[in-house]
Amino acid sequence: MDPQLTEVSQLFERFKAACVREDVDTGSNLLSKLKVMLTGFRSLPPLFEDTPNAIHELTLARDIYEHAVLLSVKIGDQDAFERDFFQLKPYYTDASGRLPPSSQEYMILGLNLLRLLVQNRIAEFHTELELLSPTALENPCIKHAVELEQSFMEGAYNRVLSAKQTVPYKTYDYFMDLLAKTVRDEIAGCSEKAYDYLSISDARQTLLFSSDDELLQYINEEHPEWEIKNGVVIFQKAKESAPCKEIPSLQLINQTLSYARELERIV
Amino acid sequence: MAATMVSSAGALLAMLNESHPQLKQHALYNLNKFVDQFWPEISTSVPLIESLYEDEEFDRHQRQLAALVVSKVFCYLGDLNDSLSYALGAGSLLMSLRILIMFILFLMCLNFDHLRSVVDIFKFAGASLVCLTFLFLFLTSAKAIDEYASLKAKATESNAEAANVDPRLEAIVERMLDKCIMDGKHQQAMGIAIECRRLDKLEEAITRSDNVHGTLSYCINVSHAFVSRREYRCEVLHLLVNVYQKLPYPDYLSICQCLMFLDEPEGVASILEKLLRSENKDDVLLAFQIAFDLVENEHQAFLLNVRDRLSVPKSQSSEMVQPKSSDPDPAQNNSSTASEDVQMTEGTSASIAIVQETDPNDAIYAERLTKIKGILSGETSIQLTLQFLYSHNKSDLLILKTIKQSVEMRNSVCHSATIYANAIMHAGTTVDTFLRENLDWLSRATNWAKFSATAGLGVIHRGHLQQGRSLMRPYLPQGGSGGGGSPYSEGGALYALGLIHANHGKGIKQFLRDSLRSTNVERFIYDSAVAGEAAGISMGLLMVGSASEKASEMLTYAHETQHEKIIRGLALGIALTVYGREEEADTLIEQMTRDQDPILRYGGMYALALAYRGTANNKAIRQLLHFAVSDVSDDVRRTAVLALGFVLYSEPEQTPRIVSLLSESYNPHVRYGAALAVGISCAGTGLSEAISLLEPLTSDVVDFVRQGALIAMAMVMVQMNEAGDSRVGTFRRQLEKIILDKHEDTMSKMGAILASGILDAGGRNVTIRLLSKTKHDKVTAVVGLAVFSQFWYWYPLIYFISLSFSPTAFIGLNYDLKVPKFEFLSNAKPSLFEYPKPTTVPTTTSAVKLPTAVLSTSAKAKARAKKEAEQKANAEKAAGAESSSAATNTGKEKSSSEKDADSMQVDSQPEKKAGPEPSFEILTNPARVVPAQEKFIKFMEDSRYAPVKFVPSGFVLLRDLQPTEPEVLSLTDAPSSTVSPAGDSATGQQGSASAMAVDEEPQPPQPFEYTS
Repeated sequence: MDPQLTEVSQLFERFKAACVREDVDTGSNLLSKLKVMLTGFRSLPPLFEDTPNAIHELTLARDIYEHAVLLSVKIGDQDAFERDFFQLKPYYTDASGRLPPSSQEYMILGLNLLRLLVQNRIAEFHTELELLSPTALENPCIKHAVELEQSFMEGAYNRVLSAKQTVPYKTYDYFMDLLAKTVRDEIAGCSEKAYDYLSISDARQTLLFSSDDELLQYINEEHPEWEIKNGVVIFQKAKESAPCKEIPSLQLINQTLSYARELERIV
Repeated sequence: MAATMVSSAGALLAMLNESHPQLKQHALYNLNKFVDQFWPEISTSVPLIESLYEDEEFDRHQRQLAALVVSKVFCYLGDLNDSLSYALGAGSLLMSLRILIMFILFLMCLNFDHLRSVVDIFKFAGASLVCLTFLFLFLTSAKAIDEYASLKAKATESNAEAANVDPRLEAIVERMLDKCIMDGKHQQAMGIAIECRRLDKLEEAITRSDNVHGTLSYCINVSHAFVSRREYRCEVLHLLVNVYQKLPYPDYLSICQCLMFLDEPEGVASILEKLLRSENKDDVLLAFQIAFDLVENEHQAFLLNVRDRLSVPKSQSSEMVQPKSSDPDPAQNNSSTASEDVQMTEGTSASIAIVQETDPNDAIYAERLTKIKGILSGETSIQLTLQFLYSHNKSDLLILKTIKQSVEMRNSVCHSATIYANAIMHAGTTVDTFLRENLDWLSRATNWAKFSATAGLGVIHRGHLQQGRSLMRPYLPQGGSGGGGSPYSEGGALYALGLIHANHGKGIKQFLRDSLRSTNVERFIYDSAVAGEAAGISMGLLMVGSASEKASEMLTYAHETQHEKIIRGLALGIALTVYGREEEADTLIEQMTRDQDPILRYGGMYALALAYRGTANNKAIRQLLHFAVSDVSDDVRRTAVLALGFVLYSEPEQTPRIVSLLSESYNPHVRYGAALAVGISCAGTGLSEAISLLEPLTSDVVDFVRQGALIAMAMVMVQMNEAGDSRVGTFRRQLEKIILDKHEDTMSKMGAILASGILDAGGRNVTIRLLSKTKHDKVTAVVGLAVFSQFWYWYPLIYFISLSFSPTAFIGLNYDLKVPKFEFLSNAKPSLFEYPKPTTVPTTTSAVKLPTAVLSTSAKAKARAKKEAEQKANAEKAAGAESSSAATNTGKEKSSSEKDADSMQVDSQPEKKAGPEPSFEILTNPARVVPAQEKFIKFMEDSRYAPVKFVPSGFVLLRDLQPTEPEVLSLTDAPSSTVSPAGDSATGQQGSASAMAVDEEPQPPQPFEYTS
C-alpha cells in the first residue's frame, strides 16, 4: 500500500480514538491535518482521477469527512458542520456509482436537513429534498426531518417539540434542542404580529416556557423592544418599529404606463 | 473513467472557508480549474474570493490566483471592467500561456460588442492557424487595450495628458505592441496602435514591415473604416503621408488621396507639378491618373484649389490663367446672348497661341498643364463620359412606350412620372428621341408638369457643358422682353441648366443669378414660399460641407418664418452645410434635433445623415434609431430611418440587418423610410439580403410604402440582369403589371414608373455609386441622393438622382487623353453582365398590346442577336413614321444610331444562343464594366497598352508600349466632338431642325407649344 495512504489511515485511527475520548482539541487538530493530506490525493473530488487505490482512498476520505461532520455536531459548530458536509457531499452524489453506500449516509443527510430547519433555511431544505431519491425519502432519518418540517410549517409546534422523543439517533439531540429555540422564535414573531399585548402568564404558555423567569430572561436577550408593564407584555413598539410596507401603487402605475408607452413605440 | 464527474463547486467553496491556508489554496487552485463549468455557483461566493485577494497575509501567488478566479467570473457575468481590474491584479499569471488561452476562451464566449473594432482589425489579418493562435493571444489583452484606448482617447479630448492611465495597463499594451512588431504581425500591431492612439508605435510598425506599400494602404483602409473621430483620423493620415514621403518610391496616388481627405491642395498641387515637369512620360501619365482619381470624388472646392495652385509657365502665366478664372464676371453680365462655349474655345486658342512663343520646355509643361487643368475642372471626364453614354446607349424605348400607352391622359402624376422616367433612363445620353416623338402628348403638361418636363431635358443632357445653354435657349427667359413662354417652363429651364452644369458651375452661376434677377417680376407668379424653399435648398447646395456660420443664421430665419415650405428648405439647406463634418456638426445637430418644430427636427435627421455619411458611426446610428422609434412626428421618423441609409452606405451589408425590424413596423412611414434606407445604402449593389427585405414591401398595404419599395428596389437592382439574380426578372414583370393595372393606386403606379426609369438609368450604362473606387465619398452623388429623397414634398426633386449616377465604364486614355482602341479580357461568362434583354420578349404581358410591327421585328431580334440593333432601328423608323412631326429628324437619327450599333457589336455579339457559353469575353476599350464584373477584368499580356495603375473601371491612363505605330482611336462619333460653333449657334434658333439633321449630334427637341 502506498505510504501516504497508510499514514492517513494511521492518523485517522488516532482521530477516531480522540473522538471516542471526546478529546475535542486533539480531534480538531488531527482533522485539519487529515484534510490537508487529503488534498494530495488526485482520486478525490473534484479531480476524480482513476488512480490504482482510488476506491480505497475515496472510502477513507468519505469516512474522514463523515467523522468530521459528527465531530462538528458534537462540538456544536454549525459552520464547521456546513463546511464538512459540503465537502462530504460529492462522495454521496458524484462518487455513488463507485463506492458501496455508507451506513451513515442517511443519518448525515437527515442531520443536514435538520440543520437547515434549525437555521430556518426552508428553501435550501427543499432543494436538498428534491435531490434525494424516493428510496432515501423512505428512510426513517429523512422521514423524521420531513415530518418535522411539515409540522413546523403547519404551526403544530407542539408536535415539533414532542418529536424530540422519537429521534432516530442520539446525535440528533443537539439539533432538536436548537429546533425548540427556532420554534420559540417563530412563535414570538407571530405573537408580535397577532397581539397588541399578552399577559405574562399567557406569554409564558405561548412561548413554551416553564417559568416566568425564563420568559423574562428570553425577552431581555432576544426582544428588548418588548415592553413589560403591569404584568402585561406589550408588543406595540415592535410593531411601530417594523417598517410598514405600503404597496408602491403610484410607482407601479407609472411603471405600467411607461411600459404601455414603450410598447406603443416599439418599432 | 469519465463516469465520475464533479457536479458542484459546493465542496470547493466550502473548503475556502477552512482555516488552514493550504486548504484554501487547494480550493482556489481547483476553482480556477473548474470556473468555466461552475461560474454561476462561484459567482455567489465572489465576495469571499475577493477577500482572499485582499488578504495581506496570503502569499502573493495565491492572491493572484484569487484575482484570476474573480476576473474570470466577472468575465462570464459580462462585467468586463471589473474583470479587467482583477485580471490586472492577476499580473504575471495572466501571461502564462495556459491560463491565457483559457482566458481567451472566456472572452470568446462573451459577446464582443465593444471589442468589435479590435476584432475586426484582427479579422483583416487573415487566418492561418498560427495566426489565429496569435490572434487569441492578442485578444486576451484586447479588453486591456480597449480600456487603454478609451482612457487615451479621453485624455486627448480633455487635453489632460495620459496621467490617469494605469501604468500596468500601459505596460501590457506596450508589451503587446512590441511583441506584434517583433513577430512581424504588423497589421495587428497597427490595429492596436491606431486603437490606442500610439502614433509612434504605428509609425514603427509601418516602417519595419517588409511590404511598406501594402501596409500603408492597409492602414489607410483601417483608418477610414475604424477610426471614428475625424480629428484623429486626420492625425493618422498626416502620419501616413509623412511615411509615404520618406519612401524612396512614393506612391503618389495614395498620397494624393490622403491629402484630399486632409484638404491640403498645396501638397497635391506640388506633387502634380513635380510629375508634370518630369522628363518621363510615365510620370505625366501618373499625374493625369491622379487627377482623374481626384475628380472621381467630386470634391469641387478642393479641385479648384488644386487647379489654382498649379504654377504656370513663367512670363505668360498670368495672362493665360487670369482670363479663365475671372472671365465669368465681366463677360457673363450680358447674359442673354453671350455663349460660354464660344469663350471657352477662345480661351484655349489664346493660350495655345501664347504657348507657342515660349521655350520648348515650358511649352511642353504648358501643354500638359492645360490637359491637367481640363481634367481637374472635370471637363475632360464629363466629355468622355458623355461620349461613352451616348455611344453605348442601350435604353429601351419600348418600355417607355408601354408606360405611355397605359397611363391615363388625365392623370397628371403618372404623366409627369413618365417624363421623369424618360429623363432618368436617358440621363446623360443626350438622346431625347422619346420627347421629340411625343410632342403632342408632352404638351399636355401643365403648370408644374411643364416645369418638370423642361427640367427633364437638363437630366438628359447632363454634362453637355458646351451646348447646355443653347439647347435650353428656347425655354429660357428671354432677356428684357419677358413675353415668351410660361414661367413654369422658364423655371424648369433654369433648373435644367443647373442640372447640366451640376458641380461644374463656374461660368453658369453668374448667368443663373442674372436671370433670376431679370425674371424677378415673373417669379411672383410662383408661390413665393416655393421660391423660399428653393432658396433654402440652393443655399445649402452652394455651401455643401462648409459648416459656415451661415448655418446658424439660416436657423434663426427658419424660426422666424411661418412658412412650412421655407422652413423645410432652410432645414435641408442647413443639413447640407454640415456635410461630412462628423463631430464638428454635433452642436448644430443637437440644436436641430431638440427643436420644437418637427420640420427642423426633420432637418436635423438630414444633418445627422450628411454629417456622418458613410461612416457607419455607432453614435449616429444609435441616435437615428432612437428618433425612428420615439419621435412624435411621422415625418421625422421616416427621415430618421431613411437617414440610416446615408450613414451606412459604406457598409451596405449592414443596412438590411439594421432596418429589418423597422421594415416590419406598424407605422407605414417607418416602413417607407426603411425601404429607402436600403435603397440608398445598397444602391447598385444588387445585395441579395436587400432584395429579400424589399420584396415583401413592394406589395405592402399602404400605397406610398409600395412606391418607396419599388423605387428602392430599382436602386438596388440598377444594372443587374436576370442571370445575376432571377428576382430582377420577376421585379421587371411586377413593375409592368402595376403600370398596366387600371386599379392600382396612383402612388404606387408612379413608383413603378420611376422604378422602370431607374432600373435602366442612363441608357443602362450607369449605376448609383456613392463611393469612389478609393472608398472616398462622392460629394455630388451623396448630396444628389439626399435632395432626391425630398421628392416626397416636391416631385421635380426626383431629377437630383441623376447626380448620383456614375457611368460603369472602363475608359482607357493615352497620353493625349484620347481613347485608343484596344482589347482586354473579362474573365466571366458574358451572359452574367450583358444588357438586359429588350422588353419585346414574348413572355412579357405587354407584348400583346404593342403594335404588330414591333412584335414581329422583336421576334426576329430575339432569334438573331447580332442584327438586333439594326432591326430595332427599323422598328423605331416605323414608329417614327407614325408621328407626323419631326419625321425627318428621326430618320437621320437612325443613321447615327446604326453606326453605334455596328461599333457596339464587338461587345454584344459573342453570345449566340447555340453552343456552350464561353467563359470569358473580350471587351474593346471604352467598354461597359458593371461593378460586379470588375473583379474579372484583366489586361491581355500581348496588349499594346499597359495601365499606369491597374483599376478595373473608370478612367485609366495607358502606357503605349509601341509608341511608333499609329493609334486607332474610338469614341469619335460622340455627340459633341464634331460640333462647330456655327452649328451651335444655329441650334438656338427655332425651326432649325432640318439644318441640324446634317449634323451627327442629336438635336434639341423642337420647341413645343403648350396647348393647355
